[in-house]
Amino acid sequence: MSTIAETAPRGQTHRRMRIDGWRWGGRIFLAFMLLYTALPMIWMLITSIKSGFAAMQFPPQWWPDQPTLASYQKLLDPQNSVGQDFLRFFWNSLFVSTATTVLSVIVAVPAAYAFSRFTFPGRNFLFFAVLLRNMFPAVIFLVPLFILMRAIGLVNTHGSLILTYLTFGLPLAIWLLKGFYDNIPVQLEQAARIDGATRFQAFMLIVMPLSAPGIIATAIYSFIGAWNEYIYAYTFLSKNEQLTLPVGIQRFFSENTTDFPGLMAASFMMSVPVVVLFLVLQRYFVRALTEGAVKH
Amino acid sequence: MTIVTGKTEARARLQPGWSGVLRKIWEHRADYAYVLPAIIVMLIVIAYPIYYTIELSFFNTPPGLQLRDKNFIGVDNYTAILTSEVFWMVTWNTLIWTLASTFFSFVLGFATALALHRDFTGRGVLRAILIIPWVISAVAASYIWKWIYHSDFGIIGAVLVGLGLADRPPNFIDSVSTVLPSLIVVNIWREFPFAMIMMMAGLQTVPDQLLRAAKVDGANAWQRFWHVTFPHLRNVSTVTILLLAVANFNSFIIPWIMTGGGPSNASHIWITHIYELAFGRQRWGVASAYSVLLFLILMTLGYFYVRALSGNERKDGSA
Repeated sequence: MSTIAETAPRGQTHRRMRIDGWRWGGRIFLAFMLLYTALPMIWMLITSIKSGFAAMQFPPQWWPDQPTLASYQKLLDPQNSVGQDFLRFFWNSLFVSTATTVLSVIVAVPAAYAFSRFTFPGRNFLFFAVLLRNMFPAVIFLVPLFILMRAIGLVNTHGSLILTYLTFGLPLAIWLLKGFYDNIPVQLEQAARIDGATRFQAFMLIVMPLSAPGIIATAIYSFIGAWNEYIYAYTFLSKNEQLTLPVGIQRFFSENTTDFPGLMAASFMMSVPVVVLFLVLQRYFVRALTEGAVKH
Repeated sequence: MTIVTGKTEARARLQPGWSGVLRKIWEHRADYAYVLPAIIVMLIVIAYPIYYTIELSFFNTPPGLQLRDKNFIGVDNYTAILTSEVFWMVTWNTLIWTLASTFFSFVLGFATALALHRDFTGRGVLRAILIIPWVISAVAASYIWKWIYHSDFGIIGAVLVGLGLADRPPNFIDSVSTVLPSLIVVNIWREFPFAMIMMMAGLQTVPDQLLRAAKVDGANAWQRFWHVTFPHLRNVSTVTILLLAVANFNSFIIPWIMTGGGPSNASHIWITHIYELAFGRQRWGVASAYSVLLFLILMTLGYFYVRALSGNERKDGSA
């Protein structure tokens, strides 16, 4: 593509053609990326409305002869043992993710504010320590954390997950929020201070409302991270009634290795909450992610 | 930001030496209260595990977690790792996995961001669809692709047979030669949206006037991209590539769920291998030594990460 652009002679008519070349290249590329992204998800949906027998055919039925919602009904039926498990996993995931999100916001807001506003010795060091933590994989922490959790009696409780997710979500949460605080003019607070507000009042009355989009973004981010987390839940929890969705689905699948429609239906339903949350609030989400790295 | 940095520098110049530092810490004692909750949680859950991992890596540990019975064996765990064949195979896999995933995720994400930069009908919808793989759980993604790659009923195999390109559906993830590339395709599917988001935001910071001025001066599309757009994106590209590299180096779920490292270690990367050593074979000491080595590699990467970030900050300060 570059050669076309470089060798094309300059001139009004030729430039039009050249731009069209780029534009068509872009369109074809986007169509390709759309297929790459969407086809696996479409195939998941189509498989999820097949019967177990229809899914296991070669060549496959591109569209099921007899579409059925049986897999969804089975997963959502509280009378059925599969449905009971699935709903319990769903509820567990919801509880753990919500608790993590609320705690993250409570802890991250003051920390991010401090990183954005105050100069104290070690401020830069602390901030980079926060960022660096993001780089270390879960596996490094698994063995010692497992022992630590056992020592404080949190193994096989949701508390172990909430504490872990909180910690590992914090660096990113602080980073995201700091980007927002950096963009709120200090003068607003100073004006409030001059009018007699304490620093805390200025923070609560001026800064908090202005940073609401950042807090929303951080909350979604924590929620999605906790909802999708797998490795700690897989290691810390062993009792069936406490599993979260990712681990629960894996266990379900290792017992029913051929129920692909059920597996696809479960994958779909596991994705629905985060995808909906993301689509509704994507503006904040995307902005927050890029604030720190791009505008800084 | 600029004001804050300026103040720090002024203070640092006024009060050199340790007594100055201590006085400053005392002066700012109230400020630490804001960070304290975050620090305490992180000390418990991060600093202690790091210390413990380093300690365990010098011990021969019994299986099970009766760690009181461990014996000090010096660096034997490290020599055992570095002389094992599996180690080099896993390292090679990790290298291919990290480099290929990072490269293709970045290139595809960047290209998508460029293609989406111009406004057109349906752009918002398209962007939202493209980001979805990044939002859904990696466990769900692994199962979706496992089903797509299925050696008997997989859709890709069926398409290849239908088009006459293969006699029978290929074994994508059950064969030593194709398993790693197949998993990398899944990983890119999940990661390129991240690069796309970052680069889209980066593109918005490229000043329109510069592009228009370049156009007036007769620069063609490629020249405008190479001489105006790209230099503006250098920082955000560095940060994106580093974040992708770290995330890929640390990935676990996709290989673990899809193949568990098999067949015959062909898709084991460092993290899955460490996990298997620790929780599968209960060789805690060796697994810890592996973790420490990993740690050293990541610290090196981290150094460049911090340098790239503070490079950003310095530029902002001077501007």
